[in-house]
Amino acid sequence: MHTLSRRNFIIQSSMIVAGASSLLRPGETMPDPVVKTMHASPEQLVDKAIEMLGGIEAFVKPGQSVLIKPNIGWDRAPEQAATTNPDIVSKIITLCRQAGAGKIRVLDRTCNSARRCYRRSGIADAAKQAGAQVRYTVTSRFRDTTIPEGRILKSWPIYKDVFDFDVLINIPIAKTHSLSRVTLGMKNLMGLLGGDRGRLHEDFDEKIVDINSIIRPTLTIVDAYRVLLRNGPSGGSLDDVSLRETIIAGRDPVAVDAAAALLFNIAPSSLPFLVNAERRGLGSMNLGASKLKLFDFRG
Amino acid sequence: MRRFRRLSQLLFFVFFLILFFAARDPYKTPVPSEIFLQSSPLAAVTVFLTSRSLFAPMLLSVVVLILSLVLGRIFCGWVCPLGTIIDAADKFIKPKIGFMAPAGTRWKNAKFIILIAILIASLFSVQWAGYFDPLALLWRTFTVVIFPVVSFISFTLFQLIFNIGLFEDAAYWLYDLSQKTVLPMQQPVFLQGGLILFVFAVILFSSTVSKRFWCRNICPLGALLALVSRRRLLQHDVNSACTACGLCQSSCRMAAIADDLSTSAAECIECGECLDTCPEKAIHYAFRISPPQPLDLSRRHVIQAGLLGVSGVVFGHALGRGEKQSTVIRPPGALQEKEFVDTCIRCLQCVKICNSTGGCLQPTFLQAGWEALWTPRVEPGLGYCEFDCTLCGQVCPSGAIRELQPSEKKKTKIARAVFDKNRCIPWAAHKDCLVCEEHCPVADKAIKFERREISTPDGDLLTVKLPYVVEELCIGCGICEYKCPVSGDRGIVMAPINRDADAFTL
Repeated sequence: MHTLSRRNFIIQSSMIVAGASSLLRPGETMPDPVVKTMHASPEQLVDKAIEMLGGIEAFVKPGQSVLIKPNIGWDRAPEQAATTNPDIVSKIITLCRQAGAGKIRVLDRTCNSARRCYRRSGIADAAKQAGAQVRYTVTSRFRDTTIPEGRILKSWPIYKDVFDFDVLINIPIAKTHSLSRVTLGMKNLMGLLGGDRGRLHEDFDEKIVDINSIIRPTLTIVDAYRVLLRNGPSGGSLDDVSLRETIIAGRDPVAVDAAAALLFNIAPSSLPFLVNAERRGLGSMNLGASKLKLFDFRG
Repeated sequence: MRRFRRLSQLLFFVFFLILFFAARDPYKTPVPSEIFLQSSPLAAVTVFLTSRSLFAPMLLSVVVLILSLVLGRIFCGWVCPLGTIIDAADKFIKPKIGFMAPAGTRWKNAKFIILIAILIASLFSVQWAGYFDPLALLWRTFTVVIFPVVSFISFTLFQLIFNIGLFEDAAYWLYDLSQKTVLPMQQPVFLQGGLILFVFAVILFSSTVSKRFWCRNICPLGALLALVSRRRLLQHDVNSACTACGLCQSSCRMAAIADDLSTSAAECIECGECLDTCPEKAIHYAFRISPPQPLDLSRRHVIQAGLLGVSGVVFGHALGRGEKQSTVIRPPGALQEKEFVDTCIRCLQCVKICNSTGGCLQPTFLQAGWEALWTPRVEPGLGYCEFDCTLCGQVCPSGAIRELQPSEKKKTKIARAVFDKNRCIPWAAHKDCLVCEEHCPVADKAIKFERREISTPDGDLLTVKLPYVVEELCIGCGICEYKCPVSGDRGIVMAPINRDADAFTL
């Protein structure tokens, strides 16, 4: 009778897991694609983008916990384009639930009063309705964390959920920013940091890479449905908002930010934080045809 | 009777707590938080005198006056939350028997002197009522003392639970629920807590001299109601069953029953203790009109009161405003400085509600003259004025802070931002920062920057973004100062503006 010894079982199953994960996380030979969808409702844009990336199942396995980090930083309405579009957040939540995700949690450390931001942005209601936990950050969960690859920042308080959750989905909104010129995916992760974040502005272009070296999102979705062109990142005037009906998404945070920078007519290579990030191996700015895939609903 | 009274006291105390904690963002309440404060005739009459204008919501206090005309000082015995706290503390803070025992009614006229002094002062536009009005006093104490203490204890417990990590979801649910109702979003820090607590403690511990010492001898609202209550329709009749045992007299917390067992309508707060105590059930209530009982307030008392009031005015003006008016930043919508100080009743409800958003308001100490003690001011080091928030004006009970429309508020200049170029990081250390510019909420940002080439000690050239303030755009909300990463004194600070001279709005 053929019996499966414990040793064989472990070897075989670890081979299966290794094989599966090598499929899930392709190596350097096959660059992670960046997808760009345009000209449809926020929900349709998300749906299509995720489909082009291989479906939500490529990112979220049944039972996995998902942490979603939109930009809820400001006491602004969605039309003012200072915070992530709530429809995009709720669509992602819906997809995660369809993939059988376990706990789904939405949070951000805000700049204005948290309750005002959560309410006014429409994200709290939308996320709750879609079935996610909406949480305010709790001070005691910001834990001093060593950043092994940090050049300047060797340690900083980081929200514990980042490491407790299986999947991190980063959903920034594309805005201008006087210091970094644009704020996209990489900068959005600052919302998971405790401490006095103002201190990060000195030598920002290196520190933001330090942070991205330890907080690694599974998936980055840049909301460019409405884009804030001036007076970012807090905005406020509708005159500064441009309707682009666009979403850019992918695994590679550097590539996604590079593609999103082009929305502002900014060459990625002119953004020092992207240059630094690529140099330090966090991803690739190269947006060759094989890497950037476009889908325009207007055809 | 005792049971009904205690129930009423409990209900009104709970009502007070609900109103107190309802003053938070989002401010959605069927009953506005300020109505309790507006029910004080003392606050209403002094605000009317100091501002020479009628603030309509304060007409609510007429109800209390009419109530007193019918039922006497029932407000003091059955409603006033400070009276309730004093009664409740009675179990722990007892009069020392023998210690000033004959004190009984010796100082009861003090409250009338204080009342007259306050009224005279308000004729000369000096607002004193707020320091003595029991409701304003209680609101103030709860805001800067009780609220932070409750928060501290709760947050410490929650932190403990979160750190243990068990039942995390349930703990967060409870945490969120308490933050939606009672607790703030983070530990509040208020100035002046020590002094305000001291006043409150003195009031509580004055009960070691006699029961309800404060209500008997000091409270000017009680004095005002006493004046009206002298004409109360409710009479305490004693029938022939009375054996003159004197139990009613010794049970009276207000020492309102004289040796001939007659009740002073001015002193009685209708607690009903005498009815409950009387072994013969000889005391009965009846309604009829009777001539007002005379006060034994001598001419000398009135003159003393007048002198007190006038000297307060003289001191207030001599040591007070003058040029000091522009040393503090007032909340948006605040009346002009002099009117503002005259109209504000120092309840600090604006400070309480501000804490739930930007948290910039703090009680003033002597920065604006001692006359302006405990009026609200903006302290940008501790918070900032939230751009889209108009809550302070919504809850102000006396109209000292006007209720602004959001569109109006966003154009209301309360201060101006000034860079300290010796401390600002780009100016002083030649490194990029722009945290101030990032947070500036006006849509054409009031902080702009110029790029300037600067040569380093090594001879290299580097470009630094140097920020500056565009005066015409800045409303002085102070978020730039609050978020400035320079520790200690910030690299950008709010300077008060002369609101009486400068245009208010942009």
